[in-house]
Formats: sequence, structure tokens, C-alpha cells
Amino acid sequence: MIRRVLSIVVVILTALLLQSTVFSQIRLLGVKPELMYLVTIVVAILEGPQEGAVVGFAGGMAQDFMLNTPGKGLTALTLTLLGYTMGLARQYIVSASPLLPTALVAAGTAAGTAFYQLVATLLGEFDEPLGYAIKVSLLAGLYGAVLTPIFYPLIRRLFEGSRPKRVVRY
Amino acid sequence: MAVRPRPRATRLLVVSLVAISLAVITLDYRGGQDGPLAGLGRSTLSIVVPMQRAVVTVTRPVGNFFSGLAHLPSLEQRNRDLDNEVRDLQAQIQGNAFDRQQYEDLYGLVQLKSSLDPEGVAALVTGNGVSNFEWTVTIDKGSDAGITPDMPVVTGTPDGAMLVGRIARVSSNASLVQLLIDRSFSVAGLLSGTRANGLVQGKGDEDLEMGLVDKGTPIAGNESVFTQGYCVADQPGLYPPGLLIGQVSRTVPAGSDIQESVSVRPAADFSTLEFVLVLKARTDCS
Repeated sequence: MIRRVLSIVVVILTALLLQSTVFSQIRLLGVKPELMYLVTIVVAILEGPQEGAVVGFAGGMAQDFMLNTPGKGLTALTLTLLGYTMGLARQYIVSASPLLPTALVAAGTAAGTAFYQLVATLLGEFDEPLGYAIKVSLLAGLYGAVLTPIFYPLIRRLFEGSRPKRVVRY
Repeated sequence: MAVRPRPRATRLLVVSLVAISLAVITLDYRGGQDGPLAGLGRSTLSIVVPMQRAVVTVTRPVGNFFSGLAHLPSLEQRNRDLDNEVRDLQAQIQGNAFDRQQYEDLYGLVQLKSSLDPEGVAALVTGNGVSNFEWTVTIDKGSDAGITPDMPVVTGTPDGAMLVGRIARVSSNASLVQLLIDRSFSVAGLLSGTRANGLVQGKGDEDLEMGLVDKGTPIAGNESVFTQGYCVADQPGLYPPGLLIGQVSRTVPAGSDIQESVSVRPAADFSTLEFVLVLKARTDCS
């Protein structure tokens, strides 16, 4: 259990640090990747809706408190729902394709960022032009898809090692 | 295979997490910068910024080293010892160039500090904002160094200071700087040629927009735009006069009969920002 909590903390901190240092310089047509979305979706695919929601909530909160704009908690709300939805969706998709995580990260990140922008607009905290909002959703999805083959095996290895062992009684 | 939790328990957990998120959003709106969540924000900054500092200390010289290696001519035909020697020397040269560049940047900043504001605080930029929708950087100095919110942040050489932004949030050992290009940033600007004034606003990755300029003002291309100092009821504006904001890049077609806008290209290069100076001195209104 402690190892599991530690895995979650390590994944979230690493994503937050990489997002704010290395990947803020390596942009795709001016758009940064959304590593916290990627991490949430990958964990949801690997571990199911409950873990997805927990990692999404914790990662979203950590990211929210690094922001300047009011309305902290919005990324946490978005990622909790995204983690849960992606974890549920994974249970109903019967496909052994190695490209499945990539496709889910692309679609999930695009949908998640669009949801974030929509709620931020309703709260009156979003003043970006529509063109920029659409560009960010699509490119963040594409960037996430490109990064998934790198991050997916790393996260899988970390979480597989921390899974609780099954107790077998004779 | 992981032991799957029951769906009902999972749903309950998700509903709880969503409820907490909504409560946090509400609390943050009501409390603002001084609310009950401000402490959590400060703690996050205090924890993350030292780690960012460690990351950039490693990644900046390494990135420089690898970019240097990428430009090395092919040495495949040479003998292995000579090859290694060249690599070592190249790495050393790159290291020296990196150190010299840092030295020059810092020296310029020290000169600027003594000419502009001897009380100012020089700080290292440790990271950029995490979101695609706000333009911020984090620096490694905070309230322990006497920094408070709304202080102006500049960079540049002794020849001229360029406005970078303002301090948005402060923790004991770190601060969050809202950049000039952030969409919710605005500053009073002054055109250097005509002395006409207007309001300069951030537009994200696009050029800044200087609005509220009187219609018919003759504006030259590449004209510099500086901050304008002002006093209202003996209270000074946030930014001292004479900090370079940028150069006029084009005139925006008029949307009104009495005012017009111009696009302003920011003078500071935000993608390579490494050291900044936080100004403490306030304009004297007396």
C-alpha cells in the first residue's frame, strides 16, 4: 500500500516537474504537452477507474496550486472525471492493439482539455480566442499520443511492481 | 491481475472527489489570494521550485552539451582515443561557453541592479507555467528575500531594462511571476516618439496589443514602447517609468473613431529567460 502511494506521488511529481521545465521549452506549434492528462489516462487504462480517478484528482490538485488564475480545483475536477471515464471505457474495449493506449491518450487529452476550457468559460475565467482553444485541444492530444510510447512502459513498470499481491488460501 | 474494487465503492469515491474539487473551486473564488487555500498554494510553490531548480541545474548545461555534440563533424575515421579527446575538449569548450554566457548575463544584471534599484533582488528562473492558458515563470526567491506581490520584474543590461512581468504569488523561498504576455496582464505604455500613451495588454504567444491610443497619432514602425509612470492620489503605479516593453510591429485596423491600437513585439525573449531582477523601489510621488 505504501509502495502504491509512493508510486502515485513519484509519477505526479515527475510529470509536474517535466511539464514546467523540460517540456515547457519543447513545444509543438506553440503548445505544451499535458503530461498530467497523459499520466491520468495511462494509470486509468492500467489500473482501472478507481486508481484513474485518484491519480487524476491528486495530479490535478498539484497542478492547480501551481497556477495563477483563480478557480483552483478545476484541473482536479477535469482529471478525476477523465480518469474514471477512461478506466471504465477501457473495461469495455476488447482490443489487443498496442496502439490502443496511444489512441485513448490522444482522444482523452483532447476531450479533457476541451471540457476544462468549457467549464472555465462558464466560470468566466477563460478569455482565449476560440481558434487558440481548439488548437490547444487538438495539439495537446497529438503531443500526448507522441509521448505515450515513451511514458506508458515506464508507468506500467512502476505500477506493476507496486500491485498488492493476491492472497491464495489453501 | 489487480483486485478490482466494487463499482459502487468506486462511484462513491469519484462523487466524493468531484465534490471536493467543486468545494475547492468555490473556496478559491470566495477567498482569492488571501483565502484558506493560499497557504496550500504557497506550500506547493515552496516544494516544487527547489526541485525545479535542481532539474534546470542539470538539464541546462546537459542540453547545451548535447547541442554542441550534435554539431561535431564526423570523426568516424579517426582513432578512438583521438575521438574521445575531441569530445572531451568540445564538452569543455561548451561548458566554458555556457559558464561565460551565464557570467555575462549575471554581470549585466548586477550592473542593471546598481543603476536601477540597488535594493532589487536578482533571481534564477526555475521553471515555466504548467498550463497552456497562462504565461508565468517561477523564480527561486520569495518573501525571505523581501519580495511581495505586484513588484515589477525586469531583465536586460545596464543599457536598458526590459519589463518581464509582475510578481503574482509569493512563498518563503519562491515566487510566481506573471509574464507581460499573459492575457490578463496590462500596463500603461508610452510611445517613445510621439509620447502618446495607451494600455498595453498581453495576447499570449501573439504580439502585445497597445490600445486606447488617440486616433491620428503618427506611429513609426519599430518605435519603442516604454512603461509610463503615474501617480493617482499620491499612490504610484506598479511599474516605474522608462522600462522597455517592446517595439511597434504593426498598426491594427481601427475599431473605433476615437482610438486605435498597435501591435507591440515584446523586447524580452521569454523562451531563454534565465535570470531576472525583482524591483523593490517604488516611484516617488511627492
